[in-house]
Amino acid sequence: MPIYPVLAVLAAIVVVALELAHFRSGIFRRRSYWVAMAIVLGFMIVVDGWLTKLSAPIVFYNDANTSGIRPVWDILLEEYAYAFALLTMVILLWDRSAPSTTDTARPS
Amino acid sequence: MDRLQYVALMIACLVLTLPLEFAFGARVWRQPKRLIRSVLPVALFFLVWDMWATNRGDWGFNPQYTIGWTLPGGMVVEEILFFTAIPICTLLTLEAVRNMLAGTTPLQRWLRER
Repeated sequence: MPIYPVLAVLAAIVVVALELAHFRSGIFRRRSYWVAMAIVLGFMIVVDGWLTKLSAPIVFYNDANTSGIRPVWDILLEEYAYAFALLTMVILLWDRSAPSTTDTARPS
Repeated sequence: MDRLQYVALMIACLVLTLPLEFAFGARVWRQPKRLIRSVLPVALFFLVWDMWATNRGDWGFNPQYTIGWTLPGGMVVEEILFFTAIPICTLLTLEAVRNMLAGTTPLQRWLRER
């Protein structure tokens, strides 16, 4: 079993569990979160695609430890789970420390 | 010049998202304490993972496209920039989208007042 996809999916599950059990920000029910993530996904494909393209990689992987599945621009499938975990965790911490005097974390 | 590729890509991300702070009123750069509190713990966790995985040989960095400063285990310093810049770009996007949906960006206000 290759380790990178296993750990990436595990990280994503941990972040979802943290939101549901601890943070309870309700972010997964907000339109703003999904719209922002869709925009970020578009830019991720450009940036990550540039970083990991097989023709001239800046970051390269040991194929034995990855899924080897590269559906778009050579980006490994597990990179999407990895990015989801990284960025959602940052957003959860950002919303948690929202100043109470403003409505930065307003639902929309 | 090729060795600046990774650094340049990260700087480009920060420069391209900078207008979100002002035209879309994101207020991410202008809350430095809150920004550090959200980005730093996550970056540290992913950097430890990164150093471990690089050391194991799960992934590596092309010396042709990196400036050549590496940390023990072989992780390049550009990774520190990555785990800082990309979360900042994401927060700018999120706050810009929130303001857009609420109709409160300076850009929207300006267009309404015209």
